[in-house]
Amino acid sequence: MSHVLSLAVANLLTPMVLFFALGLLAGRLKSDLSIPEAVSKGMSLYLMLAIGFRGGVELSHGAISGSVVAALLLAVLISFSLPWLACTLLRIVTKLPLTDRAAIAAHYGSVSVVTFVTATALLVQREVSYEPYLVAMMALMETPAIVSGLLLARGGSQRLSKELMHEVFLSGSIVLLLGSFGIGWLTGGAGQAAIAPFVDQPFKGILCLFLLDMGLLTARRLPKLSETGAMLIAFGVVMPLIGASIGLIAATVLGLSVGGTCLMAVLAGSASYIVVPAAMRTAIPEANPALYVGLSLGVTFPFNLLVGIPLYYAIAAWIAG
Amino acid sequence: MQLHAKKKIEIVVESACAKRLIEMIEKAGATGYTVVPQVAGKGVRGVRDEAHVSDLYRNVMIVVVAQADVAMRIVERSQPLLENYAGCVWMSDVQVVRDAHF
Repeated sequence: MSHVLSLAVANLLTPMVLFFALGLLAGRLKSDLSIPEAVSKGMSLYLMLAIGFRGGVELSHGAISGSVVAALLLAVLISFSLPWLACTLLRIVTKLPLTDRAAIAAHYGSVSVVTFVTATALLVQREVSYEPYLVAMMALMETPAIVSGLLLARGGSQRLSKELMHEVFLSGSIVLLLGSFGIGWLTGGAGQAAIAPFVDQPFKGILCLFLLDMGLLTARRLPKLSETGAMLIAFGVVMPLIGASIGLIAATVLGLSVGGTCLMAVLAGSASYIVVPAAMRTAIPEANPALYVGLSLGVTFPFNLLVGIPLYYAIAAWIAG
Repeated sequence: MQLHAKKKIEIVVESACAKRLIEMIEKAGATGYTVVPQVAGKGVRGVRDEAHVSDLYRNVMIVVVAQADVAMRIVERSQPLLENYAGCVWMSDVQVVRDAHF
């Protein structure tokens, strides 16, 4: 227990987490500190390019085995099934209409790229390696949950329009993540040597600046207790723990390393706040966006960043170490 | 100079709904439209000024100038599309120089 605590404290005292906290604080104090939208979008593109590329390069160093395919399939399955669990849990603990429950549930099957990237930065800092294909698993986990969310909401088949599917499966983040992964894989060590000064050295600093921005954004999206209700906010903390437990089990089945197990928990425990909200707003307009964005961005994201990642790492080290 | 009376419709709406509105506007017979990609302000759903990471909280303004009958059609057809979204529509009289363009 003391080991877990010391690990948690060590995680809190990284520049990444402290910059996030600074953003939260500045946002709560209504400081005029802000990062221009274009810069913020540019940074998120950079982070996805770098994480995808590095994953691809790592994968090029080893042969693709059957376990990689199994891992990718399992990732899709988890993303697809978690919303059913989330929706059922919401039915038990809240009185929300089905459309709201389905929309919220979809977020919890999908993933948060920033949470994942922050977790990898923590692992790198501790010199813990992880399986490179976790990056591809992340990209594949973004969208199946959207399909589940729409199937859960009444009239699912009508909501699954061709345009929407085109939008989500070809969303910028997926194209860039998988594309960079592919480029890293193709070009391998030579590619790495060519662009390392761009994808490696500035990575943590840019992540800090991005997390500062995320803190500012989160501060403005913290859900109001009076509007959201205590049970729903509790769901925003409990659901990532359930998801992460499933991720830990899956990682054990796949026989992942400590780093891979930790990241698998992060993937299954995190909730989307970019791709899924946009899809839900279009496909389930009746659902209240303040609820799902408030939960995924205002509760689950900071919870995972501050508590979840060190906790998942400690458990991963205990299980797989 | 000869000026021609037309109607101008302005629609302020969250970006998630903009694509459907624009498709409707084209089908209704308008010859063109203008989009202001980010606007801020306050309405019945509160202050909306944020455009960040996701486009969820971004409002856009769509401006259409058209003949009176087309304009009326656009206003009528916009209402069901706006049902679950933050959006408002208003119409005013304007004058244009090139009659054939609208």
